[in-house]
Amino acid sequence: MTATTPVEAPVEAPVEAPVEVEEPVDEDKLVADRIWIVIVWNDPVNLMSYVVYVFQRLFGYSLEKATELMRQVHYEGKAVVSSGAREKAESDVARLHAHGLWATMQQD
Amino acid sequence: MGSFARTDAGLRVRLSAAEMELLRRLARELRSLYDAEDDPVRGRLFPRAYLDPTREESEREWQALVHPGLLRDRLAALDTLLATLERATDRPSDREVILVDEEPDAWLSMLNDARLALGTRLGVTDETDLEAHRAAAGDDPEAAAYEIYGWLTWLEGDLVEMLMS
Repeated sequence: MTATTPVEAPVEAPVEAPVEVEEPVDEDKLVADRIWIVIVWNDPVNLMSYVVYVFQRLFGYSLEKATELMRQVHYEGKAVVSSGAREKAESDVARLHAHGLWATMQQD
Repeated sequence: MGSFARTDAGLRVRLSAAEMELLRRLARELRSLYDAEDDPVRGRLFPRAYLDPTREESEREWQALVHPGLLRDRLAALDTLLATLERATDRPSDREVILVDEEPDAWLSMLNDARLALGTRLGVTDETDLEAHRAAAGDDPEAAAYEIYGWLTWLEGDLVEMLMS
């Protein structure tokens, strides 16, 4: 397995319909375009060190960032670990499941 | 001293013959679990991708696309671990094998799944007093399982530490 380029969590809010524009808005398209986020949920079994190791291996995160995400998972119950297009989210969830982490995906 | 150590030849593992036999048994049990139907523990090893119940069709499509590969990789890791145990050599007080290439990853995959499966089966939570369960020994029918769980925790922690260093 190879480390990939780090992917930062999105800072922008989801795309919203422009308020001023008169043209009809395709609601379905807006929903379809919304970004997908991958969430890792806390579980009482996985080792903290192992979770940090997996975040580093899969996403190329620094030790600091991977540790911060692990702490968020452990103390807040969940953390968004990656985001992007649907295909990327599906692939990331699969890779997390391959490593025994409890991950799900949803639109932001 | 830990069971894993970096050497020029690769990642050295030293375990007792009984411990290696236990790993074989756990690997066999995992293989059965991977194939089990409707087992909640198996559900933890192969969870859903979509929490949203209205995404059932997406979930089915994702599982159909991804599950065969996830299962194949899990089984390959078991095979790799079992093959490394076969070539372990005797020492006066234990047995030794050198792991190379992808073999440490296969060990990590198996150890993590074995811990996940056992921890889920035992219903371990953040509040579970593992020491108390182990100390209960004969009074607790699950004491042996907690003993194995504790051993897996120690072994996997040691391996992760080696891989991160």
